[in-house]
Amino acid sequence: MDYILTTNELTKTYGKYNASNEVSIHVQRGGIYGLIGRNGAGKTTLMKMIGGLSRPTSGSFEIHGKNGETTEQMMPKVGILIEAPGLYPNMTAMENLTTKAIALGIKDKKYLRGLLEEVGLSDTGKKKAKQFSLGMKQRLGIAMALVNQPELLILDEPINGLDPQGIAEMRAILHHLCNDRGITILISSHILDELSKVATQYGIIHEGRLLEEETKEELFAKCCERLELKTNDISKTLEVLNMMGFSKMEVKDDAINIYERLNEGGAITIALAKENIMTNEIAVKTDALEDYYFQITGGNKNV
Amino acid sequence: MYNLIKMNLYRMSKAVSTKVIAIVWIFLTLFNFGVMKIVVDDPFNIMSEADKATLATSSVASDLIQSLFVSSNFLIILSVFVVLFANAEHKCGFDKNLIGITNHKWKHALARWISAVIGMTVLMVVSSLIYLGTCALFLNAFELGSLATLAKVCGIVYMGMVTFSAIFFFFTTLFKSSAGGLVPSLIISLGILFMIEKLLDFLFNKVFGSTDYVPSDFLFDSKFLNFDMDAGRNAIIFLGVLCLVYTVLTVGGSMLLQQRRDVK
Repeated sequence: MDYILTTNELTKTYGKYNASNEVSIHVQRGGIYGLIGRNGAGKTTLMKMIGGLSRPTSGSFEIHGKNGETTEQMMPKVGILIEAPGLYPNMTAMENLTTKAIALGIKDKKYLRGLLEEVGLSDTGKKKAKQFSLGMKQRLGIAMALVNQPELLILDEPINGLDPQGIAEMRAILHHLCNDRGITILISSHILDELSKVATQYGIIHEGRLLEEETKEELFAKCCERLELKTNDISKTLEVLNMMGFSKMEVKDDAINIYERLNEGGAITIALAKENIMTNEIAVKTDALEDYYFQITGGNKNV
Repeated sequence: MYNLIKMNLYRMSKAVSTKVIAIVWIFLTLFNFGVMKIVVDDPFNIMSEADKATLATSSVASDLIQSLFVSSNFLIILSVFVVLFANAEHKCGFDKNLIGITNHKWKHALARWISAVIGMTVLMVVSSLIYLGTCALFLNAFELGSLATLAKVCGIVYMGMVTFSAIFFFFTTLFKSSAGGLVPSLIISLGILFMIEKLLDFLFNKVFGSTDYVPSDFLFDSKFLNFDMDAGRNAIIFLGVLCLVYTVLTVGGSMLLQQRRDVK
C-alpha cells in the first residue's frame, strides 16, 4: 500500500492527560482520510503534531517515508488549516495570500489569483477578510494552505459551522483538490454524515485513542442495509435461502444477515414456512455511520 | 530569513496599528517642538525670567534628539508598537499557516524582531528629521552643534532603543498576549521599574554598606535612562556591552521559546 503519511504510536500528554494516546494511522496517497471523533477526542492534537505545530511527547510519524529529523524536509509539502483560518482581518484575500507567498519566496501573482479562483473567491476585490462570511473565511483558509503547493493537506473541522450551501461548496472543493490535483487530504469532523460523503478512508478516534481504521468499503459494508432474519433453525434456513438463490449473506450471532433483494421478506417467510421453519423475526435494518460510531465508542449521541 | 523579514515588513505596512502609532508619534514630535518653542523662544512673552531659568533647556541638536527619544513618551510608543506587532501573527492565528511548515521555527521570532527594529528605525529617522527640521526652521535658539557629538548621541540612543525593543519583544513572546507584553513593557516605559531599582539600590546599601557598585549599575533601563551623554569612552563601552548582553539574552530567549513551544 502506498502511504503518504503514517504515524507510529503518536502521543501527546498535557500533565497527566493523554490528548493523543499511541495513535497509529495510515493515510493512503491520493485519498481523503476522515478522522472521526467527538469534540475533545484528540483529532486536533493529532493534526497539530502532524502539521508541525505541536511537539509529540512520544512516537513519530513519516511523511513520504521520511521520519525523524528528515520529516522536516517534507513539511514544506504539507498544507495546514487547523481550527479557525489564520487570517489578517484587515487584509483582503489577495493580501493574505501574498503575505504567506512572500514568506515562501513565491512571487507569481497569477498563481495566487488562480488559488482564489479555485476556492471561489476571485471576485472579493478589496473586501477585507473581517467582512467575509464563515464559509468564505474557510475557503480562504484552504487557499492559504494551498500556497506552498502541498501534497498533503491537513484540514481540521473545515465544515464546522457552515450552512448547507457552504458545506456543499466545501465538498466540491475537496473533491476537486483530491481528484483533479491529486492532493491527499486528512480531514477531521464530528459531522459524520458529511464526512461519509467525501472520505475514502476513516479513522475513528475516541478519548485520544484510535479505535478503528477502515476503508470506505469496509466501513460501509458494516453500516449498509440488510435483511435480518431470526428463525428456529439456522442451518436449514441457510439451505432454503441457497435454494432461493441468495448468496450475499452471513450468520451473525443468532441471526442471518442478507445483503440483497431486501424486498423479498414475504417470499422468504413463505418458503421457510413450507419447510416447517418458524420465522421469529424478519426486518430490514440499517446501521447509520453514526450508529456504528456509537456502537464502537460505547458513547451516547453527542458526537 | 530574508523572505520572513520581507513578509513581516509587508504585514507591518498593511497594519492599521502601525499607521496609528506613526501618526501619534509624529503628532507627539510636533507637540514636543511646540513645547520647545514656547520654553526656549517664548514667542508670546508669557514666561518670566524666573520661569525661563527653571525651564532652561538646551536647543543643541544632540540634546534635542536625546530629549525626544530618552523619554517616557517615546518608550510608551515603542512598547505599544513592538508588542502589537510581535503579537499580531499569533493573535489572528496566521502563525499556524507558516510555523509548522518551516524547518527552523526560531527564525520566525528573529525575523519578527528584526522587522520590528526596522520599523522602529524608520519611525526614529523620520521623527528625528521632522523634529530637527522644524527646530532648525522655526526655533530661533536652535544650534546644530558638533556633528560628532550628534552622531555619538544618536548612536547611543539608537543602541538603547534596540535593546528596549528586544526586551519588549521578549515579554510579548513569553506571555503570548498583547496584555502580557504591554504590562511589563509599560512598567519599564513609565519609569516604575526604575523606581523599584532605586529602592533595590537603597536596600543593597543598607545591607552591604556603601560599595563601588549597586545593582542598578547592571540593570539596563537604570543605566540607560540615567546615562550621561558626555561620559567617557569606558562608560560608553560598558553601556554598549550591557545593551548587547540584554539584547542577546532577550532575543535568544524569544527564539528559544518560539522553537520549543507548541503553536496554540
